[in-house]
Amino acid sequence: MTRRVLVAAAMLAVAAALTGQDFGKAYSFPERKPHSRVEAVIDKLLPSIVKVHGASGLRTIEAYGTGIIVSKQGHVLTLEQVMIQKDRTRVVLYDGSVHMAELLPEEPSLGVRLLKIDPKEVDGELQPLWPPTDAAPLYRTGQFVVSLGNCFRLAEFSEKVSATFGVVVGRANTALRYRMSDVKYDGDLILTDACNNPGQYGGGLFTLDGRWIGFNCRLLDAKETNTTISAAIPSRDLLPYLDEWVNGKVTAVQAVVKKPVYTGVHLFEQPGRSSPPAYVDQVTADSPAARLGLRPDDLILRLDEFSVRSCKEFRDVLARFAPGQTVKVLWKRGNEVLDGAMILAADRQ
Amino acid sequence: MLGAVVVFLLGCQDPDLQAVLRDQAARTATVARVSPAVCSVMDMESPGGGSGVIIDPAGFVLTNFHVVGEPDDVRKPGPRPMPTPEKSPVETKPHESVLPEVPEPPAAELERWNREHQDASDEARKQFVDAWQAAWREEHLPKGKHHYKNKKVGLPDGQLYEAVVLGVDPGSDLAMLRLLPERPGQTWPWCRLGDSDHLLVGETVFAMGNPFLLATDFTPTVTFGIVSGTHRYQEGQGQRILVYPDCIQVDAPVNPGNSGGPLFNEAGEVVGINGRISIGDRGRVNVGVGFAIASNQIKNFLADLFAGRHAEHGTLDMSAWYMRAPREETSRRGVFVQQTFKDSVVAAAGVALGDELLHFNGELVRSANQLATMVGIMPTGAWVSLGFRAAQAEGGYGSEQTVFVRLTALDTGSSADAKADTERLASRENRRIATQSLLRDLGHGETVADGAVMTLTGPAQQTVRILRLHDLLRLELDGVVLVRTGNGEGFRLEGGVARDLSPEQLARLDREFVANPFLWRGADRALRLQGALLAGGVYVHAGPAFRFAIVGDGDPEQWYFADGRPAGYSFRDPLRKARVELHVCPAGVQPVGDALRVIADGKLEHGWTVTGPEFEAPPAELFRRPR
Repeated sequence: MTRRVLVAAAMLAVAAALTGQDFGKAYSFPERKPHSRVEAVIDKLLPSIVKVHGASGLRTIEAYGTGIIVSKQGHVLTLEQVMIQKDRTRVVLYDGSVHMAELLPEEPSLGVRLLKIDPKEVDGELQPLWPPTDAAPLYRTGQFVVSLGNCFRLAEFSEKVSATFGVVVGRANTALRYRMSDVKYDGDLILTDACNNPGQYGGGLFTLDGRWIGFNCRLLDAKETNTTISAAIPSRDLLPYLDEWVNGKVTAVQAVVKKPVYTGVHLFEQPGRSSPPAYVDQVTADSPAARLGLRPDDLILRLDEFSVRSCKEFRDVLARFAPGQTVKVLWKRGNEVLDGAMILAADRQ
Repeated sequence: MLGAVVVFLLGCQDPDLQAVLRDQAARTATVARVSPAVCSVMDMESPGGGSGVIIDPAGFVLTNFHVVGEPDDVRKPGPRPMPTPEKSPVETKPHESVLPEVPEPPAAELERWNREHQDASDEARKQFVDAWQAAWREEHLPKGKHHYKNKKVGLPDGQLYEAVVLGVDPGSDLAMLRLLPERPGQTWPWCRLGDSDHLLVGETVFAMGNPFLLATDFTPTVTFGIVSGTHRYQEGQGQRILVYPDCIQVDAPVNPGNSGGPLFNEAGEVVGINGRISIGDRGRVNVGVGFAIASNQIKNFLADLFAGRHAEHGTLDMSAWYMRAPREETSRRGVFVQQTFKDSVVAAAGVALGDELLHFNGELVRSANQLATMVGIMPTGAWVSLGFRAAQAEGGYGSEQTVFVRLTALDTGSSADAKADTERLASRENRRIATQSLLRDLGHGETVADGAVMTLTGPAQQTVRILRLHDLLRLELDGVVLVRTGNGEGFRLEGGVARDLSPEQLARLDREFVANPFLWRGADRALRLQGALLAGGVYVHAGPAFRFAIVGDGDPEQWYFADGRPAGYSFRDPLRKARVELHVCPAGVQPVGDALRVIADGKLEHGWTVTGPEFEAPPAELFRRPR
């Protein structure tokens, strides 16, 4: 007890010694006031962006990232990454202070995770951001955006994270994703040409009004052309997760008990081998596939907008549909590409 | 036609569109204005190349050191092609000097000499030729160990010029070139250096240059973006060279070939020199993270670059970490000295291992990175203040104390091209042109009373009063009065009796008269600089200054800030038998230590103050020899 009081007294003495030195002011170098819209919005948002440091591991895995403060109680949203590990995750606030973070459960379908720091250890108040909750559209193609995040770990302690500028290039459904392991998210992603680089993941994508529209996730990468594009999860899709863990408000999710569907297609697949392309081996007579006209040796390419590159993907994509739904099928027979619609049946087993 | 479209579009009601179009019109106008000064820098022996920007009408071009390449004695052929079975690998060239050969005296001059010296011996003729060649060498050849091959510089007007490499700053990747005119008095379009400390994250900037050497007619490529970060520290490559200590991070695409090109702010001022990029895992391609050397850092080394010197960066000779206070039971973090040398400047000033660093030049030390940034942009020889709290043996830290240390030169490693070449200096010809450029704006300002008085007071109450009236000078050195009456004459007063001056006393008066820039104003000051040659840079209090070597005995130098205000002076003092330097902090600037620094042979004498100069003519009788 006495010891604690002593420590407190020592801290007060330190605080007194530092009076007049503006430790509250985060940035180290004198700056002018912002005068353009972009400067002003970045200036306003930066105190809500944090640097996240985690377990260092393999050379190919960055032990740093970015996060966004989402509550005054110390909740910080970041991208779920290998480096995020218990007792080894640190959050560096805008003022340069370092805080150990507690881990809250991740949201696997989004690939995000909340961290929590102790707000009592923070000088002053945290400045949280929250996704827009109004029904107005979040973004449109061509709109100007600013991306904030600590790319290449360029900023340390109270130094400002990087800001890049660009437009929304479009939206992409991740079913068409290139690098499947990196993006776990299933919905539409916001694509932007505002640069995203290692370390920037977990940062935010903002409109010039300061609205938080996107949450930076990994790059989409085209190996063939050696090009990449930055992608962000629409911030509104994070709301159920944030509401649950920050506000304790569980959104009633309509539990859709999906019945398995039946097509009558048997693919050519051998156990113990990596999933081969979706070649048809047999078609059951009087099945949806038979009615569509599929034959053995046809190669299935696509179901609706989902590309099918393997037998596994065929099953994964089919799991999205319910019996009675109509699905467009694209397949290859010899040198021809054919298409047609198939009405899915319920699995009789 | 295009104008009509713009006017039509501006007429639209959408305010956002109008703002975008207005910005665009302003931007295209700025680009058109500055692009004539953006150039391509090439080495004819290698396929690569870089960019540069003209910063003075006399053709001074700023670029990256890594664009200039390597000096003559370590010259290797540029990017080496892969050896193929048909082709043998490119051979490394043996040492060859890149300096031009000294010519024979022109025939006309020889003939004239022969006419005037009809019966001169061959020996005398040879002496004449030798003297002529020595003078030519002095005028046209640079000094120093390493020399760089001339570059070819392409301008947007499609012309290709030859350019000579002047100063280099391998420490932070800068070099200065001078375009060689094709006709006398030729001038070039140029751009002003801006204030990079004024940049803010989110501010729009544009990079110009010749990436991938796309433009064979040298019209520059323009890329546009925002400032992504300011005051970034980027570590050097290899032997502590090419460090980017205080750089600007931009998302404007910067690619190979952009190196050395300018980064402009919206006003079209050069706020940085683009020099490097961060790359992802896809090789040397732009990923939206480029770095430019900040213009304010460049200004700290500009004098050395103009003068053709090898600029050297300063160091505190210690390393410090941002960490939890080791001698306190708190979670407080700070910057603590982790490594230092016993003979380092900080150790001599009393800073020891484990001490906490609080201030650097009045700026609060917040992180190790920030400290490295602030030190990294300082040239060697700069005096800095360091606020620290000493680690106590019994735990905790003492009270804050401030010491003043002079930065020593950062050893840039062992590679031959990086090793400081302290003798490096441009030819007299190039330094003369640089001097004319720098003094172009200096000659203005009013001339009022043709006289001045300034008083220096020393730590032990000794006073030095300097009085000037026209070309007369009176020095009152602690009771001894020395008066210079011109034409190499003067007298001294002892107890009211006038006596003749000793040669040392006369020399002291002459040197003070020639070197002291504070006794003159405006146009007169420019007159004092006649025949002066830029000798390099010096860092005075919070700013870089230019050193101009004046013609005269004792190596007198006058120092000026870029805005023309005098910064100090130096000369060899025959009375003190030491080289004295006076650094004077200009009004309105926070001094580092004493506002007046008196330095004798590199040793600082504390406690000097200055009053004046007051520009009032002192009474004439003070300069008259009493009977």
